[in-house]
Amino acid sequence: MAELKKFLIRRILTFVPTIIGVTLIVFLIAYVIPADPAKAWAGGEKASPEAVERIKERYHLNDPWYAQYIFLVKGIATNTLIDPRTSNPVLDDIRDRFPVTFQLAIIAFIFTLIIGIPLGLISALKRNSIVDTIVRIFALIGVSTPVFWLGYLLIFVFFVKFRITNLAGVPPTPATQITHVPIIDALLTGEFTLFKQHLARFWLPGFVLGFMGTGVLARFVRNSFLEAISGDYIEFLKAKGVPKLKIYRHALKNALVPIVTVLGLQFGGLLGGTPITETVFALPGMGSYAIQSIQNLDFPVIVAITFIYALIYVTANLVVDILYAVIDPRVRY
Amino acid sequence: MQEEYKKNIFDKIADKLVYGIASFISLFKKDWKAKNKSKMEEWRLMLYALNRSPPALIGVFLVIIFILLGIFGPRLATWRYNYFPSLYTMNFTQVVLAPPGSKAYLEFANTTITYPLGADHFGRDLLSLILSGARTSFVVSIIVISLGVPLGIVLGLIAGYKGGKVDELLMRITDMFLAFPALILAIALSAVLPERIQGFIESHVLLQKFVLWIFALDTREAGNLGRLLSVILAMIIVWWPVYARITRGSTLTEKEKLYIEAARAIGLSSWTIMFKHILPNIIGPILVYITLDFGSVVLMEAGLSFLGLGATPPIADWGRIVYDGAQYFPKAWWLVFYPGLIVMLVALGWNLLGDGLRDVLDPKTRRSIEFKVKKAKGEGEENA
Repeated sequence: MAELKKFLIRRILTFVPTIIGVTLIVFLIAYVIPADPAKAWAGGEKASPEAVERIKERYHLNDPWYAQYIFLVKGIATNTLIDPRTSNPVLDDIRDRFPVTFQLAIIAFIFTLIIGIPLGLISALKRNSIVDTIVRIFALIGVSTPVFWLGYLLIFVFFVKFRITNLAGVPPTPATQITHVPIIDALLTGEFTLFKQHLARFWLPGFVLGFMGTGVLARFVRNSFLEAISGDYIEFLKAKGVPKLKIYRHALKNALVPIVTVLGLQFGGLLGGTPITETVFALPGMGSYAIQSIQNLDFPVIVAITFIYALIYVTANLVVDILYAVIDPRVRY
Repeated sequence: MQEEYKKNIFDKIADKLVYGIASFISLFKKDWKAKNKSKMEEWRLMLYALNRSPPALIGVFLVIIFILLGIFGPRLATWRYNYFPSLYTMNFTQVVLAPPGSKAYLEFANTTITYPLGADHFGRDLLSLILSGARTSFVVSIIVISLGVPLGIVLGLIAGYKGGKVDELLMRITDMFLAFPALILAIALSAVLPERIQGFIESHVLLQKFVLWIFALDTREAGNLGRLLSVILAMIIVWWPVYARITRGSTLTEKEKLYIEAARAIGLSSWTIMFKHILPNIIGPILVYITLDFGSVVLMEAGLSFLGLGATPPIADWGRIVYDGAQYFPKAWWLVFYPGLIVMLVALGWNLLGDGLRDVLDPKTRRSIEFKVKKAKGEGEENA
């Protein structure tokens, strides 16, 4: 266990420079913003020069780059960066929208898992059969389908034709919050009508977002399962006369290691897909908020959201790496 | 029992293709063809192997169509992307969001316009828009791949081969970029870059003319180039880190091999070793990635313009047509359905081709196919 501890400490230490790097890139993004937004924030062409000057002062737009960098990092860290449009602290606005995005990503992830893993196992067990070919083509179609197109297609089928999904508004959050993810809270506190409402609203966008990764995961599960099952220890188990199902259980355990990695990568893909999915399904999450703030030239929000997305992604990767080390003792180098 | 294959029509095309490429190289390098017989044979066998996989052939077919559309699309279009039929008629309902298959008479222009795939909210013909949009998608994917990928490969080679501090520095920078979900970084960059790029492009008239020409745009679109180019730059910035990491990984294993040690022992410079000896040996898997990524670039570009970034109307762009048409959904379903369908087909084509290439370039799966082909070839020669 001592080795695991060492690994964790080293891994968490590399986390810090990555985050600093992320803030640097975010700053570069902010730095190439021309000084004009000050005028837009002050109210366009009719804005008085003093107001523009005041805004420039407040957002340190005239200061040298290091001062701007410190201002930005400090603003995000202490939540004092103010959205010039809504006059709220940027992180407060993001916090209101975060649960929607998170819930969407979780549901998409669940879809990816419950479709992808069985599909992969079936195509591994029926290797080089019709089923295998179909899964392969399904995987390729999955990565080739534009999220927005699939979204509108399914809206047409499930909303316009059959009316089995809800597309308006977002159901309220349950009164008692435990995990701050509404759908899980509703389930935990026993508010089943609310849970049903959330499910009716989120299942379709979740499926659309998860669709892209499903086929990829299936192919990956297939390959790593096949690799695991061709190991020498499997031959040994067969020779020993262990029943088939038990052998599969052993193989699955070994196949799990690479699958965990690919799941971590998929999570990044899911996060990246949220702006498009939220725009198609009119969900008020972080992604659609970013798009709105781009249309309003609301750059502090873009900067903060980009940072938050990167933070989530880097943290997810950290968790994956730790899981990886816990599952497989060989990686604790 | 082993299956036997006869040379089919695609194999003959492959023969011609390899011969053509070899002759082309021979124009510049004397006796190349005579010296590289075995290499030509290898290429030919790879193409034969590719011909044995129907999905890969479908991929080749779709990709060729995409390339042809990209080159000739704007010329094939019956109407220019900036021809607004609603300006030429008093009867707007006839042209605005006209359903597929309808016709309209434009009294001021004295022409009849047919809409095979319907019309958008300006009464523009959707088929012509999709054909013109092919150029945008095609040029964007070519530029992003041809600038982003070599940058990543060169940095990856240097990091992997030099090692030490250089490696550490380059890889930390790569990690920073890889810490963002790709689309999020692309969104942020293409949101903040346009004004600077617009300023740059306006001060370089020649470059501006060139860009307008490759995108097949009218000169009055010069004011919108900044947004289009910012998407390209954003995607290049997003694209290189992946290649840097892949290349570094394969360089690390490759440079330990004996032939590199030999090359170093006879005193070749690091640049020669990197680009003439290591690169050709690791390029196979990278080629597969490049093929797959052509599809990803087309998808991401469509996604970005669907979010309202990049190409601005009236520039024809597949994602942008969906963005503008979505507000009339589901009534004007064709504005969402057809552009999305073509994006999917193009991405699918590149993915099928990449998947097929992976099988061909993977020695394990290739050998079995090759043996069969070789056998068939031997027979063919006997008959001849």
